[in-house]
Amino acid sequence: MAEWLDDFLFTYETLIHALGIHGLLALSMYCVMALGQLSLGQAAFMGLGAYTGALLTLKLGLPFWLVLPISALVPALVALIIGGPTLRLSGVYLAIATIALGEVLRVLYINAESLTGGALGLSGIPQKASLGLVYGLLALCIAGFWAIGRSKIGRAMEAMREDEMAAGVMGVNLPLYKLGALVASAMLAGLAGSLAAHSNSFIGPNEYGFETAVTILSFALLGGIGTPIAPVVGAVVLTALPEVLRPLADFRLVINGLIIVLAVLFLPRGIVPFRLRRAP
Amino acid sequence: MLSQQLVNGLVLGSTYALFALGFTLIFGVLRVINLTYGFYFSVGAFVALWLARSFGASIWIALPLGSLAAGLVAVVVDGVLLTRLRRTKAGELPSLMVTLGAVLALYSLMAALIGTDIQRFPFGFVGSTALEFAGIRVSLVQMLIVGTAFVLVAVLFLLLQHTRLGLMIRALAENEDAARLMGINVDATVVAVSFLSGLLGGAAGVLIGLNFNAIQPFMGEAMMLRGFAVIIIGGLGDIRGALVAGILLGVLEVLTAGYLSSNAKEAVGFTILVLTLWFRPVGLFGRAQVKRA
Amino acid sequence: MFRSFLVTGAVAVAAVAVTPAFAQQTVTVGAIEILSGPSAAYGTAIKAGLELALDEINAAGGVLGGKKVALIVEDSAGNKDQAVNAARKLVGRDKVPVIIGPTLSNEMFAVGPVTNERKVVTVGTSTTAVGITAMGPYIFRTSLPEADVVPVTLKTAQEKFGVKTIAMMYANDDAFSKSGFDSMKAAAEKLGLKIATIEAFGSKDSDFSAQLTKIKGLNVDAITVSALVEPISGVVLQARQLGIPASVRFIGGNGANSPKLGEIAGEAAEGLLVGSPWFVDKKDAINDKFVADFRKKYSKDPDQFAAQAYDTMHIVAKAIDTAGAAESDKIRETLLKTNHTGVMGPFTFTEGRDPASTEGVVVLGMKGGKFQILQ
Repeated sequence: MAEWLDDFLFTYETLIHALGIHGLLALSMYCVMALGQLSLGQAAFMGLGAYTGALLTLKLGLPFWLVLPISALVPALVALIIGGPTLRLSGVYLAIATIALGEVLRVLYINAESLTGGALGLSGIPQKASLGLVYGLLALCIAGFWAIGRSKIGRAMEAMREDEMAAGVMGVNLPLYKLGALVASAMLAGLAGSLAAHSNSFIGPNEYGFETAVTILSFALLGGIGTPIAPVVGAVVLTALPEVLRPLADFRLVINGLIIVLAVLFLPRGIVPFRLRRAP
Repeated sequence: MLSQQLVNGLVLGSTYALFALGFTLIFGVLRVINLTYGFYFSVGAFVALWLARSFGASIWIALPLGSLAAGLVAVVVDGVLLTRLRRTKAGELPSLMVTLGAVLALYSLMAALIGTDIQRFPFGFVGSTALEFAGIRVSLVQMLIVGTAFVLVAVLFLLLQHTRLGLMIRALAENEDAARLMGINVDATVVAVSFLSGLLGGAAGVLIGLNFNAIQPFMGEAMMLRGFAVIIIGGLGDIRGALVAGILLGVLEVLTAGYLSSNAKEAVGFTILVLTLWFRPVGLFGRAQVKRA
Repeated sequence: MFRSFLVTGAVAVAAVAVTPAFAQQTVTVGAIEILSGPSAAYGTAIKAGLELALDEINAAGGVLGGKKVALIVEDSAGNKDQAVNAARKLVGRDKVPVIIGPTLSNEMFAVGPVTNERKVVTVGTSTTAVGITAMGPYIFRTSLPEADVVPVTLKTAQEKFGVKTIAMMYANDDAFSKSGFDSMKAAAEKLGLKIATIEAFGSKDSDFSAQLTKIKGLNVDAITVSALVEPISGVVLQARQLGIPASVRFIGGNGANSPKLGEIAGEAAEGLLVGSPWFVDKKDAINDKFVADFRKKYSKDPDQFAAQAYDTMHIVAKAIDTAGAAESDKIRETLLKTNHTGVMGPFTFTEGRDPASTEGVVVLGMKGGKFQILQ
């Protein structure tokens, strides 16, 4: 292989990793939004996965194949606990409860110093998340969501998104679907968090706050939720964007924000507006 | 010491309440988590700062003009961002998203133009003398904050309950379509609500910026999360609830930091928020309508 | 995988690749600083310091026999992912032999492993946390870690002002403040100071009344604060507002060492003590020239971040020049031996790639809204 290719890969390694991991996060957002719900807890779940994974690797030295599923299960458990009361209410409440979760966890990471390193975070996490693993999992998830989307479950999900009350009347088990989606999305976010921790080598308590939650939401909103591919495309665009806009320095975030505004106002179905075709 | 801590809590709580008033008003009436609200807060503070520095304006001029400017900005921002979505009845999600993108753009633009250094009102802008009473110290600014919070709640309450505009706003909060059918000028009412909330946000920005001497473009962002807690605990759209919940939160935070552990202070708001969602999602007074899913 | 495979082949390629590099008339150095977002003030000051030094270096004929030094400053926005991306771009695409920065310790913890693996010299100018240079043999810093500065300050307070009992405050949610506090606590214990209480706050908090009211009841001699300048200003102002008398001195960590403190806190900060590796009014020819040139170029006073960056740029240029080539390995060797007298005083690196001397540390006291060297 040529040296330039090696340099190219080195230059963009973190970015390529981030694209895959953000793709997974976008899917975790898709998972709740496909039902017309709004969770701002993806960042919190991601953080839980990251801390769980990093601690299991660093303190217990568990093998990575075991670390990954546990990092997905811990956030799933937390999702069950907060999903119970809030899913009975309208969407706004879930959104706010999940924001609160992120803050509570942040305070916890900062104070559980002996375990989490407090404000200094955890460093020296071995880089175990290979590109193959990240993209393999991403492909698997897209395929899985695609299959679900075309099945009866997918139809129920779309019905809920379009008109929740009507879907309920038609016999869709609303609470089950909502809780199931929240738990699945928490698992995905936890997985992504653990992968991120094992590719960045450093995690800190302030990385999973409101801003990260907002970024993850913007992936799905920009891409759209017509197909599982769409949010991933959104993630790719928004992850690459800050790098592309680098020369603009000060005005980069301005443009990033404007893109979100314009996408929502003028592309309500996202930049990938197609819908899944149903199995007959 | 306890009495001083209670006063500290009252002042802190009043800042939360001041911030939350306009926020809960938008949320309650327009059904939008409007994240640009934090930006109005910063606008109010900066306009007042500019007036004080460039023209030597006193607080009695800078405060109303700063608030007014924030109100006008709110009307413009709301009109540009949300009119279209309101017309198509796009719902909570896209509205939240569009204000999210906008607030990111607006904060960053402000930071790029003004810089991120924190600034303060000129020394002596408001007398820094503190009154001492039975070992309790309160400064003029602090009294101004507590006073303003209570006065604004009273004025807003009277406005909503006893004026024609208030009636229109309440009708809009109840049901937009019905309000329109009843001959209410919905568009004008929306503008009025945006203006009012911007005005309140701006006033809060000036006073809080004055109290903490820390004015910078992102100052609204830091208040936002506590704002969420206050409006849920007080009940969405509930003006008196916002006041009570704000003060309650402030007092509890101060007592936690003073007597338990200052590490736990930040967790207080969110713990109460989670408890509220579990046991009493309608908020303290149970006035707000909670749409059950 | 393929990288180890490459190494053998790369030696041959490198020999060819080096020749055109020699033909170039510039040596490019990279920097990663926060130029946007809420903490942009730090990165902007550093960038100003670097560029001022750069002008002087190039005006004096550059390095390596007449080559100009060019500087690419990448923005990290205070975000560690963007900092890593910037580092990778500088290393992989711009092929810089030296990176200056990043601004925050948090960012350095993310960037360090990447640049060290690629054997690119990385010099932090503002990263004071514990463990920075332990990341690898290519990671340097020119900023004195808090653990070196704080003991000097506390000792002065103890000896000069008879401070015996202290209350300690710190921002518990950022690495800079927390790590500074850890050093302070260790130093205070070593000096035998009595710690009456330890109070934490959030770095974005603006209300400290609860903690300060508690401290007021404890009758301490001094209050130490480790945080960035914004919250420290708030703490100091509110302490006086709550009636903590001016006889109770504040002792600040590195974050307090900013002219902003006087501007925001005014009289309330009177008497505050802080240790600093550099000071704007330090009277020597090098510093006078630096301050005058800085004022001329940017029409404002430099702060310590600008001063540290200014020295660092000179130190790096000197190391490149003595290395004889813009190659990271050689620069690493010469950096370890570089001896430079700059605005911070005489400077060398330790074996552990930290600044060797704390001789330059001056203890400053706030007087009339401005820092002055304590007599």
